[in-house]
Amino acid sequence: MANANEIKTRIQSVQDTAKITNAMYLISSTKMQRAKRSLENTRPYYESLLHEIERVFASADDPESKYFYDPDKKNPDNKVACLVITADRGLAGSYNMNVIKEAERMFREHPKTKFFVVGDYGRHYFDRHGIPYVKSFDYTANVPHIREARDISDVLLDSYDSGEINMVYVIYTVMKTAITSEVDTIRFLPFDRGDFMSSEEKLKKELGRFEFFPSYKEVLDNALRSIETGFVYSTLVYSFCAEQNARMGAMDSANKNAEKLLAELRLQFNRARQAGITQEITEIAAGELAQKRKRIKKQNEEVETS
Amino acid sequence: MKEFQIKILASDKLIYEGPCVSVTVPLSDGSMGILAGHSNMISAVKTGVISYKTAQDAKSEKVAVSAGLLKVENNEVLVLVDAAEKAESIDIARAMRAEEAARAKLLNEQRKREKMAAEADLERAIMRIKASNMANTLHHKN
Repeated sequence: MANANEIKTRIQSVQDTAKITNAMYLISSTKMQRAKRSLENTRPYYESLLHEIERVFASADDPESKYFYDPDKKNPDNKVACLVITADRGLAGSYNMNVIKEAERMFREHPKTKFFVVGDYGRHYFDRHGIPYVKSFDYTANVPHIREARDISDVLLDSYDSGEINMVYVIYTVMKTAITSEVDTIRFLPFDRGDFMSSEEKLKKELGRFEFFPSYKEVLDNALRSIETGFVYSTLVYSFCAEQNARMGAMDSANKNAEKLLAELRLQFNRARQAGITQEITEIAAGELAQKRKRIKKQNEEVETS
Repeated sequence: MKEFQIKILASDKLIYEGPCVSVTVPLSDGSMGILAGHSNMISAVKTGVISYKTAQDAKSEKVAVSAGLLKVENNEVLVLVDAAEKAESIDIARAMRAEEAARAKLLNEQRKREKMAAEADLERAIMRIKASNMANTLHHKN
């Protein structure tokens, strides 16, 4: 059995680690709440924007834009780009690996995929495994901000506009319930017109026509660009929430584990301490006995000589 | 003068919602003034300064905005923009620093993308300064 001192240092170190994991748990939960709040703030804007886009469509007979998906186009998959959203750091359970697995699947399917990676963890992984990605694109996954989302969507849209890429996917994580999250891959560009056309027929009837200024196309492209920004922002926030949630889960189980470990170690420590005390008592008692015998022997010898 | 409803909504906050008698909005080919009874219209807003009056004799409010969408429907105006800042809440010193930083970056930057980003930053900074200045000169007149 290890001696009491060794167990004591071990307990100390487990306690220190537990303090860290507990703190990380709390930090994750506040970060998640903050991200959720900022998402809530942007909701009215995007809801009105989507609503207005429906109207824009309803006002024209055949809306056309380079951002629309054209199912008739042959071989649309040849210049694929992919936005991969990972965390900046590990210690978040399986969160990062799930995203990376999905990205690797995409890489196998389209070996020429241009990867845009958000988050240091993903970039390090891609570096280590020799998967090429766009180096100049170095956004962090930390507390998403609308400004970052705008920059990211601008990068993607500019490459799309210049014809470098003609299909953009996003791999991100979304929380399904409070405990489970799921990695999702969706097409970000070009748009599916169907997404906006839910109530078009109805709107057409009740609406008068709008005048477009300066032109229908410009208005539509402008609005679609804004929608993209919102889209990127929401995937960033969803992923961030899922990341924090995964980290909370991981830290929670770490905390529980630490408690279990501590209980075990304390028991061991007490046993070791007790064993030590028992041994000492035995030694003292034995020593005392030996002394006593020695004394008696000496007395007897003295009696004999006198 | 007749009133109409206006709502200016930025992606992260509501700037103003309420009655208004006149509004001027920067569009891609110049500013456009809108009064009550304007015909239904949808238009693209570009980075610039929106000014509106909540009442005939009120001082006009200035808001620096980035690109977005404008809709006039049944005498209601809706402005949806990526980012917006009211003139009175603009920190002029900060805006000036941002302008300088953007200019410096524009000079040194070689990469095309970064250059464009710096240009956009510069445009926004200039608009913020402009909005703030316009609001201040109006204060003096009143």
